[in-house]
Amino acid sequence: MEKVLTEIAEITADPYGYVAGLKERKEKKVIGCFPMHIPDEIIHAADLIPVVIWRGNEPVTWGHAHVPPYDCGITRSFVDDAVRGKLGFMDGMVFHVRQCLQAGEFPFIMERHVKPSYQKVLYLPALYPGDVMRDFTITELEGFKTSLEEFTGKKISDDNLNKSIEIYNKNRGLLERVYEIRREKPEILKAREVMQIVWSSMFMLKEDHNKLLTELIKGMEAKTVEPEKDKIRVIPVGCLCQTLQFDILDLIEDLGMIIPDDDLYIGSRYFANQVNLDGSPLGALADRYLTRTPVCPTKGVWQVHWGDEAIKKMRDNDARGIISIIVKYCPPHACYYPDFKSKMEKEGINAIMIEMEHEIITLEAIKTRLQSFVEIIGGV
Amino acid sequence: MDVKYKVNRLQTTNEIRPLVDKHWADLRTAKERGEKVAWASGPTFIFAYAMGMKCHFMAGYSAYCGGIGAGEEVLKVAEMTGDLPETCSYHRLHMGMGEAVARGIDINPQAILPMPDLMVAGRLCPEMSHYAEGLNRRFDIRVLPIDLPSVYDLKDQPRLREFVYRQFKEVVIPTVEEVCGKPFDYDRMSEILTVLKKVATLRNQCWEFFKTKPACWTLWDYGVSIAPVFYLMGNPAGIAYYERLLEELQERKEKGIPAIAPDGEKYRLYWDGWLPWAFLGKFMRKFTPNGAICLCGRYPWEFFPHPELIDPEHPVETWADLYYGEGRLTYHFSPHGTVDLISELIEDYSIDGLVMFSSKTCRIMNLSQPGVIDVLDKKYGIPGVIVEGDMIDPAMISDAQIETRLEALYEMIDSRRR
Ligand code: SF4
Ligand code: SF4
Repeated sequence: MEKVLTEIAEITADPYGYVAGLKERKEKKVIGCFPMHIPDEIIHAADLIPVVIWRGNEPVTWGHAHVPPYDCGITRSFVDDAVRGKLGFMDGMVFHVRQCLQAGEFPFIMERHVKPSYQKVLYLPALYPGDVMRDFTITELEGFKTSLEEFTGKKISDDNLNKSIEIYNKNRGLLERVYEIRREKPEILKAREVMQIVWSSMFMLKEDHNKLLTELIKGMEAKTVEPEKDKIRVIPVGCLCQTLQFDILDLIEDLGMIIPDDDLYIGSRYFANQVNLDGSPLGALADRYLTRTPVCPTKGVWQVHWGDEAIKKMRDNDARGIISIIVKYCPPHACYYPDFKSKMEKEGINAIMIEMEHEIITLEAIKTRLQSFVEIIGGV
Repeated sequence: MDVKYKVNRLQTTNEIRPLVDKHWADLRTAKERGEKVAWASGPTFIFAYAMGMKCHFMAGYSAYCGGIGAGEEVLKVAEMTGDLPETCSYHRLHMGMGEAVARGIDINPQAILPMPDLMVAGRLCPEMSHYAEGLNRRFDIRVLPIDLPSVYDLKDQPRLREFVYRQFKEVVIPTVEEVCGKPFDYDRMSEILTVLKKVATLRNQCWEFFKTKPACWTLWDYGVSIAPVFYLMGNPAGIAYYERLLEELQERKEKGIPAIAPDGEKYRLYWDGWLPWAFLGKFMRKFTPNGAICLCGRYPWEFFPHPELIDPEHPVETWADLYYGEGRLTYHFSPHGTVDLISELIEDYSIDGLVMFSSKTCRIMNLSQPGVIDVLDKKYGIPGVIVEGDMIDPAMISDAQIETRLEALYEMIDSRRR
């Protein structure tokens, strides 16, 4: 187990180097996906390496001339990586331009600064009423598949697609198992380790990741841990599209809290919902995209309240509070947050919000807020 | 010797305020008359209008709030009731207004609207969905959502047109029929489009007076005249307004009266981004003393620049085609479409420089603006600057920043002229 965790920590310490190396080892082309909701099973089925684009850990430098300071962290970091030439290993890129306004403008910047040999724009729809939404999602996915076939010169059969979906479903199942064990014994992994485990799935080949997870799970199942009863269970929520600064996760734990489960994008949201393998693979991928839960504020869902979902997760895990993490300048989350907060107030839930910036100058302010939160919910 | 520039004010534009006041007043009192009320975002209000509903329009309301000086107080209510300042100020205005009504908070009565029977939420931009969702969650407003993607690449346009057209036919029309309890009024939609076509044709004739050197009016004059080509569509008063405006501009041309005294502009500028509704005067005061005027822009050109394409005989089809067909209205909002549009405008209006207004709370255009400047500079040798601010929120506006950037632009234009 420790060996796997060390390997994952190394891989996530330098995703650029890892993916460039992977490309060389496998002699396959790399396609970056920006970042949420792209069914990258289709890329996998085209015998390419799909990677979910990430927020780097360096401060923005040259990117300042190309991206305003009032855009979110992953936007700023991605543009900075692009203009600094750090993304040269990506042969192609695909963007879900309807995710948010910032995602909508990436293709233009990438065309100019990275010039990937393959670039595709997807207009995945909001989850609105009418058969037209599902039909259009399938049209988008068909177009995506065709464009990849043209890029590689090879047909993607339903068989290829189903195989990839199986591998992805297995990955989702294994990640779910990791989370299940963590729910039983939350002390078993540090929160940063959990995030690294999920994040690595986003840019490793899934079959490689599955091997790591299988070994990890064996170790996790065998390991006994001393329950730390005095730790206060909390559920972090949000942080769309990007890794949370590991320091914040450490801080939460250092302050006497423990995370038995989460509702984070680089967390449980990533692997939620299997793809149904009966019937047409593209239809099944569309159906997974069109699933309303976990509620994603980028998808135009209001029939289910995100706050209710988070509260359920909190109660299911005997947790005592919810920590919303909003990426600064993420409008989908920021627009939803007031309603999320009202729900917490109405239901009498202990909840706090912290804003996360790409460049954290000091953790002091976050620490103070978390400290007072932990006092309120019955900690030190 | 320094030239003292001064704006020559148009008379006709004084007539716009009563028109828009009446529109919003009618909306405010609609329920008293037993009329159905809708709210809309994106170009969707036409469906409510066709059914005889009184309808708001998201950006129009925001512009109105900014124009009547109510923006700041409504934004304060939004802040007080929990909305985050980094969200789009149009979103916050609506949340603030809704909260003010729900909680009985005193705000400018002209900024208050009745809660709608239906919200026709066109999702041109994802924030338009967020505000509709928020209004539904908070005030239980019924939402009719429509997804309206901007076309990134022209080859995507046909399938997006089909997607949107199907939503009009399969979702929008049946829903407004259900809410209003009567069949969809295609004839009324045709009438609205017939009036719109006339107004937009007259407006295009007025645009010719931007081309003259010196120009006879400014983009700001047109900015305050947008309502008749958009949310006042179908109202014949718009025809009369543009006829008078056209007459006044013709007269100016004959008499040699330029938009700014004494002899017209020194710098002819393109304006990118939304118009800064609450700060039109402030910007004007930054432009005029330097002899600069804005003459055209991406947003003001959104309102049917090709009226010849409006086909009132096929109302629903033409509406889809204007946005997703030859009209290319949504394409012009994505970076390549922007480059195409600005290129045309630079040539047609003899533009010297580009002012790219980057709204700190609306991220629909700002990420591509540096690239757009670069592409156009290479193509035409025309400089551009980015000016940061907001359409409504005074907390986001910095005089010093605006002045520095504009001065830099004037200097670049001067140095290239030398
Ligand atoms: S974090 Fe938010 S704003 Fe940024 S890319 Fe993701 S959804 Fe868009
Ligand atoms: S974010 Fe921009 S485009 Fe979207 S509703 Fe707000 S002002 Fe309009």
